[in-house]
Amino acid sequence: MVENIVFGIGITALAGALAAVAGAAEDTESDIGSQGDPNSQVQLAPQMGFIHRIFNKAVAGEPPAYGLWCTLGAGLAWAFLAKDVNPVLALILGATIATFVQGVYATSGYLGRTASLAKFGQPVYIDILKSMLSVTMAHAFVAIFTTVAMCYLMNASLGHPFPLPLLGLVWGIALGAAGSATGNPFYGKERQYQNQKFGAGVPISASGNIVRYAEAGQRNSLDNGWFSSKLGGPASGVCFGLIVFLELWRTVLFEHIGAGWGAIIVGLAMILVFVVIDRWVEVYARKNYGPYTSAEEASS
Amino acid sequence: MTAQITVTEGGIPHNTLMIYGIIGSLVGIYLTYLNTVTGTQLFSFFGGLGAIAALVWGSDTIKRLCSYGIGTGVPSAGMLSFGSGVIAMLLATKFGIASPVLALVLGLLIGAILGYIANNILAMKIPVMIQSIAELAAVGALVMIGFTAMATGSFTFSPISAIPVTVLGASASAFSTSLIGGGLIAAIFMLGSIALQHGFNACLGPSEKQDRTLTLTAEVGFLSMLMIAIFSFAFLGMGAFIVSIIISVIGWYYTYSQYITLSKRDAAAWLDSKPIVEAEGH
Repeated sequence: MVENIVFGIGITALAGALAAVAGAAEDTESDIGSQGDPNSQVQLAPQMGFIHRIFNKAVAGEPPAYGLWCTLGAGLAWAFLAKDVNPVLALILGATIATFVQGVYATSGYLGRTASLAKFGQPVYIDILKSMLSVTMAHAFVAIFTTVAMCYLMNASLGHPFPLPLLGLVWGIALGAAGSATGNPFYGKERQYQNQKFGAGVPISASGNIVRYAEAGQRNSLDNGWFSSKLGGPASGVCFGLIVFLELWRTVLFEHIGAGWGAIIVGLAMILVFVVIDRWVEVYARKNYGPYTSAEEASS
Repeated sequence: MTAQITVTEGGIPHNTLMIYGIIGSLVGIYLTYLNTVTGTQLFSFFGGLGAIAALVWGSDTIKRLCSYGIGTGVPSAGMLSFGSGVIAMLLATKFGIASPVLALVLGLLIGAILGYIANNILAMKIPVMIQSIAELAAVGALVMIGFTAMATGSFTFSPISAIPVTVLGASASAFSTSLIGGGLIAAIFMLGSIALQHGFNACLGPSEKQDRTLTLTAEVGFLSMLMIAIFSFAFLGMGAFIVSIIISVIGWYYTYSQYITLSKRDAAAWLDSKPIVEAEGH
């Protein structure tokens, strides 16, 4: 019994570590492709006359897109496992093929969106496609492989009742949501608009006027990847790592108490603790950095 | 702030595409029945071709629905389509040889109910809402039954929910190694729904062209079909697996190169390592 719990906690820690890597890679990948909420401004910029050299991937929101990559990676791994392929090999093959699919979607998204902006004179920069693609695919591979490996650990070691592809769907969507909610504000709301007053939101008159020039030369999405790996990526990694770790931790430790109700009660208690922490952080931030002084500046 | 969605005119009329989509997908899915007739598994790939016909039809429906500004992104239409389609599809597989037709009928029915709720009870008041959601649910059901038929070689409930195994000389049914029990249906769901919305979502904009959008949908459809072909590794023999892979790769390569040609045709310019071309007035 105690050995089971120690084993479970070990797997929990390993899954949490994998999830932290997955979160960091996911946010960096999606920011290089301007996926999620940065996308609308990258899409809008040429319509306002600001031609740019930023990669615009346009697959779907991060949760559905990562839902697909991780479910696909897990599904392929499941199919190979069903034919008695070695688990490590099956996971790597699944993640590799899912990364190939991600790459094809990314190229067609960039070409489609850019060609449809022909009326505003936005050209297709084929060198952007070639140089960004390998970098997003590399990050996507790290994110998919770690997530699918984490799902395999849950299924094979912790005895989770869901089959592998279903776990891939659940955790893929959770991964995309964590990256989208935690990581994107760094890039979408601040870095794209670092030429505007800090914290002012995006005034209508500045819509589409994203930063297009870098420290040296013209900004492309590799500069955004560098920036994301510094702030947004680690933040997303901590977020997703904590989600996975706490979720498994409460299940492993408390599921035998009260026929499973123990884990549910601990889960509710954790939500309450986080509500209190969030409220405290918000009040602290408003007192120290806020409030917005004039209504005109915050009118987006 | 969301990007404005502009729908361009021209191209093949929607109703014509819908008729092609229905006939193409039903014929494709029914051709997998040749497996049962001839006693082989080689004809499974027809299910994937049927699913692609339904995807192309659904892609045009999404374009029509999203031109009204439904208040959410285009990808949500793909999720809605498969979320309602999976119910119709699972119910329809209980009816043997009539399954594909029933998937279409039940999809239309469930979609019409959902469309009625959205339009009249939630008061979204979008003229094409009921018809579009009915079509999308039918597309979802047909794509799922097509891909399922391709992966397992059959579109009826028993072969996709339980696989006969022999344990110590006695035969039994294994649920957890089947398409539904193994959760592979979740992967089919995502492959279909993202492929369905990608065509219009990736190509939306003022210079959108119908042929480019639909070529892209066919391209991602063939890409999904290739993945289903790899899934069939777990269920079908080596011969059927290789036939499915070869046909998917040929279809994918052809549509992908066509799509790049069409993108070159429509793009403002096709530049390699060139600086930003400043628009006038900036």
